[in-house]
Amino acid sequence: MNLVKKISWKSTIKNLYVLSVLILIVAIFSSVSIKFIEGPNIINIMRQSVPLLLVGTAVTLLMISGNIDLSVGGILGLTSVIFSLLVKAQLGYLVSTLLTLALGIFLGYINGFLVVRLRIVPVIATLATMSLCIGFGKLLSPGGIGLIKGLPDSIIRFARSPFLLGLPISFYVTVLIIAVLVVLQKKTVLGKYAVAIGGNKTAAELSGINVVKTVWLLYIIVGFCSALAGIARTSLLSLGDPVTGSGIELDAMIAVVLGGTSFSGGDGSVARTIIGVLIIMCLTAGMQVIGMEPYFQSLVKGLVLIVAVVTDVLVKERIED
Amino acid sequence: MSDNVLEIKNLTKVFPGVRAIDDVSFDIRRNTVHCLVGENGAGKSTLIKILTGAYARTSGTILLNGEEYAAHNPKEAKNKGISTLFQELNVVDQLTVEENLTLGIEDTKFGFLQKSVKIKKMLEVLKSIEPSINPKQKVGRLSVAKKQIIEIAKAVASEADIIIMDEPTAAISEGEIRRLFKIIKNLREKNVTVIYISHRLDEIFELGDNVTVMRDGKHIETKPVAEVKDRSELIRMMIGKTVIESYIPKDTKSQEILFEVKGISNSKLHDISFDVKKGEIVGFYGLVGAGKTELARAVYGADKYDGEIIFKGSKLGDTPSKAIKAGIVLVPEERRTEGVFTILTIRENIPIMNMGKISKAGFLNNAKERKIAGEYIKKLNIVTSSMEKETAKLSGGNQQKVVFSKCLFADADLLILDEPTRGIDVGAKGEIYSIIRQLSNEGKSIMMFSSELPEIINNCDRIFLLYDGRVKAEIENGTDINGEMIIHIVTGGE
Repeated sequence: MNLVKKISWKSTIKNLYVLSVLILIVAIFSSVSIKFIEGPNIINIMRQSVPLLLVGTAVTLLMISGNIDLSVGGILGLTSVIFSLLVKAQLGYLVSTLLTLALGIFLGYINGFLVVRLRIVPVIATLATMSLCIGFGKLLSPGGIGLIKGLPDSIIRFARSPFLLGLPISFYVTVLIIAVLVVLQKKTVLGKYAVAIGGNKTAAELSGINVVKTVWLLYIIVGFCSALAGIARTSLLSLGDPVTGSGIELDAMIAVVLGGTSFSGGDGSVARTIIGVLIIMCLTAGMQVIGMEPYFQSLVKGLVLIVAVVTDVLVKERIED
Repeated sequence: MSDNVLEIKNLTKVFPGVRAIDDVSFDIRRNTVHCLVGENGAGKSTLIKILTGAYARTSGTILLNGEEYAAHNPKEAKNKGISTLFQELNVVDQLTVEENLTLGIEDTKFGFLQKSVKIKKMLEVLKSIEPSINPKQKVGRLSVAKKQIIEIAKAVASEADIIIMDEPTAAISEGEIRRLFKIIKNLREKNVTVIYISHRLDEIFELGDNVTVMRDGKHIETKPVAEVKDRSELIRMMIGKTVIESYIPKDTKSQEILFEVKGISNSKLHDISFDVKKGEIVGFYGLVGAGKTELARAVYGADKYDGEIIFKGSKLGDTPSKAIKAGIVLVPEERRTEGVFTILTIRENIPIMNMGKISKAGFLNNAKERKIAGEYIKKLNIVTSSMEKETAKLSGGNQQKVVFSKCLFADADLLILDEPTRGIDVGAKGEIYSIIRQLSNEGKSIMMFSSELPEIINNCDRIFLLYDGRVKAEIENGTDINGEMIIHIVTGGE
């Protein structure tokens, strides 16, 4: 029984560590500018976090299985374009949303097909899909590069206008989806299989686990969440933009690693990725609030990642001893 | 210089609980082919590992050219004059023959490669050994045998005194074996001594000048091959007297055929047929390269094959998950990389082959999982402080019991066990045997693949002997079982 306690104590330390980094960042920015923790800014951060939260948590589940998806930003851009065009074509929000989500599922299916059926290395396969998505997105935009403007005013009702406690509907939908992902990871056979495949693929195959089906399904989940993120981004900005997702794949991976998920698979937590996402979003927003130049933001993000990962390794070693 | 290139005196290597090499002394004469034979576990590989620097000896002396010899790694051994042709060849497929020959010993000027005397000499040696290899060719295009020749050329050119060859013919074709033998015989003229290890006894008679027989870590005999009368003399020296310790024939034998393999073949297996009856323990014995693991994996559906397998009266599917659903499980050869999930706890490992039993609509039932883990820990006597322990931290024997638990929880009727007791201590071995016996008494059928003859003889009701991917003989176990005959067959005799 003693051992059970010790292990849960370990993961508590891990949780506390990531959380304390977040608190530290919030504290620093608040001390520089009290505006940082005022209601409007907090609401703004939460609103903007929605796409990265969706993508980051979904990718966590995939990364636990030892796979990776670089196409999330591409999918986000393409679905943003498609959703905008559907809305402008007067198909109505419900139909437009369903069709866009179906596209996300289809793109996830393609990724899964390339990885598990054609056995292309995940980095290469999803890099290709990313490029394809951005290409298609641009093709469908006015003039080949332009933004899709002139969306109806009501489009902001999903991800911008306050719905409850000042936060938009998209925030609550995201909370719901993350809750589902956490349950999937911790309570279901799918979550257990993801860990098993990421931890030891050979043993998983010999144990009769359907690796193909499991990994494929995880890619589809990521595709779905990326499409939802694309809709949220479109609604937030009232714009369809084929490159709106550029860079989100990196932010997502930073968030996942900050959350302590192993890059090689096997070990990880969807819940901790949420904190990782908030760290990134607070950093970005905080630097804006205190008026830092944009190029500094990228620099600071890189440094925080290095510090966080190194500290994580050191903390882990301590615990192991 | 003395006639002996290598003198081994009172060499001993002790691992915890085992004397892998026990006071071994013998000499190897200069410019000869010296064969080393013995059963699995006789101490051959440990001896080789000491010579190549992979292990440190516990005590004893080794003299190379009359001087005290010790190496800490293969590179040091090579510099001192002992090169090794490992089974895993040490060539880079993406480089050319020429680049491979000089890999790591390139001559450079300001970082640029130089066409030096060294390369010239290497190429000459290669040409003298095997003229048909083009130095500009990519090594990846060459056959295993030609890659071996490149390594031999490299060793000869670097003026090795001794080249150790560990089962060099295990993975090459008959024609290539002929050519390799010719090269080995010619090495004498190049002032090279060969230490040759092989399970194929006929090769010893064809190649060897002298032979050393080892058994249970001890030196049994060293003598000129010409003075060995025949295979059976060699075999007698290798196995000594096989005692049947604990095989008890069953009182009642079921005649009901559960599993029937009809002529399966793939790149490693040739037309294999056999059947397994209900409650029967069937053993498969063979030496390295005989196709044991390949057969185990094929019947489980992990590797592809041609032919047909009938299980419980219907054709068996060709993937592990289909096999498991039908009621067949595999305890794989490599416990850590194929058997357990080391990052998962004991509790999480046990149900993984049969998640349906502890979940409903995809949701896990944690209470059920804990209950089942507790049951199996008790049933198989897994020694641990908690079911929440990561399996990485368990001993080999306890890990193997976790693998058995996984398989038993899958409710199989046929268990395929590939080297079920490899690398685990004697106590745990005994426990594994009694688990196997008990399963058989409960009516489960067992296929046991092992390279340890006593394990096969003590446990199995029926034994199939494998050689070169073929079933060479089928033996009903009993008191009159003949160990010599078994070794004769699995080493390639008729």
